[in-house]
Amino acid sequence: MKREVAAEIVESLKEAGVDFVATLTEANLHDLVMALGEDKAIHHVPVTREEEGIGVCAGAYLGGKKPAMVMMNAGFLLSTNALATVCIHPGIPVLLLIGHSGGVGEENAGHATVGALTEPVLQAIHIVYEKVGRFEEIRSTIRDSQMLARSSRRPTAIVLNKQALR
Amino acid sequence: MKRYECLRAIAPQFGDELVVTNLGAVRHEWQSLRPHHGNYHLQNLGLTSSMALGLALALPHRKVVAFDGDGSLLLNLGSLATIANQHPKNLIHIVFDNECYESSRGAPTATAGSADLAAVARGCGIVNVATAKTVAEFTETFTRALKASDLYFILAKVEPGAGDVPAAALDSQENKYLFVRYIEKSENVKILTSTLSRASEPASK
Repeated sequence: MKREVAAEIVESLKEAGVDFVATLTEANLHDLVMALGEDKAIHHVPVTREEEGIGVCAGAYLGGKKPAMVMMNAGFLLSTNALATVCIHPGIPVLLLIGHSGGVGEENAGHATVGALTEPVLQAIHIVYEKVGRFEEIRSTIRDSQMLARSSRRPTAIVLNKQALR
Repeated sequence: MKRYECLRAIAPQFGDELVVTNLGAVRHEWQSLRPHHGNYHLQNLGLTSSMALGLALALPHRKVVAFDGDGSLLLNLGSLATIANQHPKNLIHIVFDNECYESSRGAPTATAGSADLAAVARGCGIVNVATAKTVAEFTETFTRALKASDLYFILAKVEPGAGDVPAAALDSQENKYLFVRYIEKSENVKILTSTLSRASEPASK
């Protein structure tokens, strides 16, 4: 991810009211995670496993924060039980920013299956999501996805494809 | 000692502390001892410590107490590393360690073997770590943690067995709304969004 893309995401999150972000990094998310760590307006919690981050974000919501979780799609798949039991069941919103590996243009064979499963699993657990691939889509998609998360009291997701990440 | 005896011993000390309970009988025991809108009963095995961490970070001036279990924490050992690094001074993480998956008919957990969760907590960097084997030890440690302004991890080694309490009427959606409304009121914050009726807007010409 280019630094200006990371900066745009951080600014968009703040504009949307997000003040608490849990992250689990990856090469494509590195600049975003580092930028979140440096931002004074956002409480940043680097976690050791993605479903842990879902719990941390849900707890922060109960305490009045507006949380988001940054992770790759492998981590999203790992988090499905946490999303179902901790967020969807009681009705707790968390904005999910999911880096999408294994999509069109992927050169790493190991990522293809995870890539192919990401959208069907989002649909299966009824999480509304938007795919973002262009810089100019970032701000409005984050704003609108956060709006829906808060009004529906449910997680929403933004799937960031490789063009957006690079 | 039994978990219910521990809970009964410390319940009178609770005022406006926020509590996150683990999946299992502990939720019913605690709800019976301290029915309060500041109790959040998690419907997930594993994320009790993480929910409590998020809550403690969001409200650093409120004491947050997690009633976790060995089976739950073993699913989420990494949360101890995250908690240690975040170091919320208002969090008391209590683990009732009965060395088995009691709610799942009692197969042994890893703590029935060689695993020591207090040692894991220390290894992750939590400084105030205690293991209690009697109700008196547990109560004394909890009282110290409640008065202190620092992160505590308390491992309570308990025998299996649930307290003789009625099943609490716990509905997750209801629990969430009651908890959130309690936080909104006690903290003077707005968490739940509301939609204005269009009828209140002037009609466009």
